[in-house]
Amino acid sequence: MNLKDYIESGIIESYVMGLATESERAEFERLCAQYPELVAARRKFEESIEASAKEQALPTPPEVKVKIFEAIGKNAPSSLGSTSSNPPNIPSMQNSKNPVRGSGMLRFVAAAAIILLIGMVWLYFQAKQRNQDLVRENDGLKTQRDTAQNILNRIVQEQKQAIGDPNTTVVNMVGTKAAPRSSANVYWDSASSSVYLVVKNMPQLPNDQQYQLWALIDGKPNDLGVFDATNDKLILKMKDTKKAQAFAITIEKRGGSSSPTLEKMQSMGKATQTQ
Amino acid sequence: MLALKERNNQAFGFLYDNYAGALYSIIKQIITDNNELAGDVLQEVFINIWRKIETYDQTKGRLFTWMLNIARNASIDMLRSKGYQNSQKNQELPDNVYKGGVSQTTQQNVDNIGLKKVLEKLKPEHRVLVELAYFKGFTHEEIADMMSIPLGTVKTRIRNALLQLREYLK
Repeated sequence: MNLKDYIESGIIESYVMGLATESERAEFERLCAQYPELVAARRKFEESIEASAKEQALPTPPEVKVKIFEAIGKNAPSSLGSTSSNPPNIPSMQNSKNPVRGSGMLRFVAAAAIILLIGMVWLYFQAKQRNQDLVRENDGLKTQRDTAQNILNRIVQEQKQAIGDPNTTVVNMVGTKAAPRSSANVYWDSASSSVYLVVKNMPQLPNDQQYQLWALIDGKPNDLGVFDATNDKLILKMKDTKKAQAFAITIEKRGGSSSPTLEKMQSMGKATQTQ
Repeated sequence: MLALKERNNQAFGFLYDNYAGALYSIIKQIITDNNELAGDVLQEVFINIWRKIETYDQTKGRLFTWMLNIARNASIDMLRSKGYQNSQKNQELPDNVYKGGVSQTTQQNVDNIGLKKVLEKLKPEHRVLVELAYFKGFTHEEIADMMSIPLGTVKTRIRNALLQLREYLK
């Protein structure tokens, strides 16, 4: 394939603007993983669209932002710390009309009462502010909890799907000489072609490198996608494959390579049917 | 980006302040004649961005591209919804009554903003195809049917138009 012709075919623009068909999108994404020049050209067009859209920005209806933040269960951030916009409403005392006569004691009592009143008002707003802070904090924690719960549910769901299925082949990947301690499990569902990877022990890589999973089909390696050895994902969904006699993991440059660097092979496992 | 994925309130406010105007512009280029519904779509778009931020995949494009496509899809869905069709019928009367009155001054001429302005530079036969595909959301097949031109021609013309668009955007 001539990459230059492909870049100039209008596919980038169709893809970015959401006008490409499903198969065009899939092909484009696959080629992007392979050719950094294609990604660079896509990025350039995206930047020009973004610049043009920002130049043409219209003023938005002011109530929309408030409604959005209400809908997602939080206060708009612009209202944070802006209590000064509604200052405490302290009624002014009208003493001058009827000047208090004579008694210094009465004046003292009046002054004390005013001071007391101001003090109470201050305490009241202080407490109110504190209360608002707590409510906001509580909301934030709730959202965080819900998000964490959702992520957990999704992981559990994926795992059930991948591991519980009778069509799933479990491939235990063991370390090679280059990396004797590396280990991971591949769950390959031969019915749906889905491939999941559970990282058990893969050392952290420098930022410019990633692990890449390969399916060996009739002796030829096929890319199943790249991954990082971080702990935050328990189970990774890799690219589908219909066939595979074995799986292998290599270390490649970030973004992956089109063919594996075999001397960097980290682990390997045979996809023999266990069921 | 990380702050957004963690649902950080401030980050989301920043995102809104930075991009709402640009997205509102694209929404109004699709929903040209109803400010209230365009506002509703903007609201829906940002709520969707908030809910779906985890599904955004950096390898597939820039954040703005992702948001722009959400905005475009939501606008086209609105365009096709029953509620919108009905509101058009209801709107016709007051619009005609007040023609030249207050409503005219508040309503911007949407043909003169954003991508539509750039589109004007294209040849008419190219422009109409991009209009139908991008702003009305018709598939290439539907357009080929509607205009009785071969599917292949639709595809090439749209691709060519988009390439020209790219040049104008530079």
